[in-house]
Amino acid sequence: MTRDWKRFLPFLISPLLLLVVWWWATAAGWYSDDVLVSPAAVLATLQELVASGELALHLKTSFLRLLIGFGTGAVTGVLFGIWMAISPRVEAFVLPTFQGLRQVPTIALIPILILLLGVDESFKVIIVVKAAFLTVALAAYDATKGVSRNYFEVARIYHLPKTTLYRKLIIPAITPPVFTGLRIAFSRSWTILVAAELLAADSGIGQMMQLGREMFRLDIVMVGVVITGLVGFSIDKIFKWAEIRLIPWQPAVKA
Amino acid sequence: MGRTKAALNYLDQESISDLDHATAPVAQLNGVSHLALASTTTVLDVGGVSKTFQLNGKPLNVLSDFSLQVVKGEFISIVGSSGCGKSTLLRLIAGLDTVYDGSIAWLSSTVVGPSLDRGLIFQEHRLFPWLTVRENVALALESSGLTPDEVKTRVTHQIELVGLSGFANAYPHQISGGMSQRVAIARALVLKPRLLLLDEPFGALDALTRLKMQQELQRLWETEGTTSILVTHDVEEAVFLGDRVVVMEANPGRIKRVVEVDLPRPRHRTSAEFQRIKDDVLSDFIEIS
Repeated sequence: MTRDWKRFLPFLISPLLLLVVWWWATAAGWYSDDVLVSPAAVLATLQELVASGELALHLKTSFLRLLIGFGTGAVTGVLFGIWMAISPRVEAFVLPTFQGLRQVPTIALIPILILLLGVDESFKVIIVVKAAFLTVALAAYDATKGVSRNYFEVARIYHLPKTTLYRKLIIPAITPPVFTGLRIAFSRSWTILVAAELLAADSGIGQMMQLGREMFRLDIVMVGVVITGLVGFSIDKIFKWAEIRLIPWQPAVKA
Repeated sequence: MGRTKAALNYLDQESISDLDHATAPVAQLNGVSHLALASTTTVLDVGGVSKTFQLNGKPLNVLSDFSLQVVKGEFISIVGSSGCGKSTLLRLIAGLDTVYDGSIAWLSSTVVGPSLDRGLIFQEHRLFPWLTVRENVALALESSGLTPDEVKTRVTHQIELVGLSGFANAYPHQISGGMSQRVAIARALVLKPRLLLLDEPFGALDALTRLKMQQELQRLWETEGTTSILVTHDVEEAVFLGDRVVVMEANPGRIKRVVEVDLPRPRHRTSAEFQRIKDDVLSDFIEIS
């Protein structure tokens, strides 16, 4: 128990340090209190937003968009990535476009998507789908391409049926890299969603921040910043935790 | 029908191995008589095989006019320095590569692809890291048409034969390199192949483990009597295990000569006769004063 605590202690240093610097910067009075809000004021606003249920409402909306968008993008991404890797024809047709699109930041597509789809729900979901799909599809593609030829020779020697080939070779082999892809895609999806909500939304954590900015309530903006960071961090940790449990055949990886 | 036959074979095999384990002299006798019986039918006929690779646009002749007849139950060692085409030859016999000149006939029919009755053991164990020892061995039986019960019995028995009963549920990363290679051997043998191809199977192991594995392979071969071809660059290993040692030279890969090893099994590395044959083969590679 105490050892566990000691192991975590170093991880607390940098966030605490950041908090101290933040507090010190506000206490020094370089900026007005309205511009650089103190940690204490942010905490008070946070309590207020939690108590009124406003924060929960915004988070719920954002999570719903994230879940639908990421879910759709991830599932289709995995399937399409594998398909692209095993079918030379599909690969030849779409890979160059894929690799080109990968270089375009999703955020650059926001203006076009707004014009095409309006600022409704669909726009926010679609942009998350796009962010997740591309990242996951390319991870699945690279993973499938990377399965060692040696294993396929073993499969040939033992005349493995197609279903076995997928169930006992391809899928387990690509699970770890695909999982990493999913994790990266999730963090990208979350970031892009908050950015999209900042630009155009009537609810959601990003919209809450945008509204706060418009009303010059930077304490609300800061609450949004902190919550966005915490949510992203927690989800990343959950992915890592799940990865270790879902892939028991890997030599233990420390989270 | 096929299933019954396989089951019968298996029972047969089990009774033989029981006998072998009973007393050492019986095992020894069995090994000798098995040799005497063997020298009748040619099971593998490699005739004038040549293989050329394209390397940077230039043809590279890795195998040139290689001919060899292997009789049932024989253990052939092929020894040569790297680049003499010995691994390429094994891949051709296994059916992993089917582009070559000449002819390769297994049981009188031309080899056109991999077959379940020709097992291949690679230099690396090539176990699937996400499957346990038991699941890795069972993989070989996926296309055998055996019932799950039969698969279970055979896999358990085979894991026992290579001495890994306590590790059936371990993942490859949890066991040593030598143990992994034993699992790979079990995976190949569980199909009861009629021809066993071994491509430097112990090349990646440390010297002591290698000695142990050679003993074990000899024991397994005496128990199962499988026709085997071992490719190695270890002269002592070749002489220790082979009925005949095929010495190859490189550029292009071809047979230099074939040395008969007429020694009873189990063999003793320290015996004068063993040393003489080993030195004889070694003299093809280095000068021995």
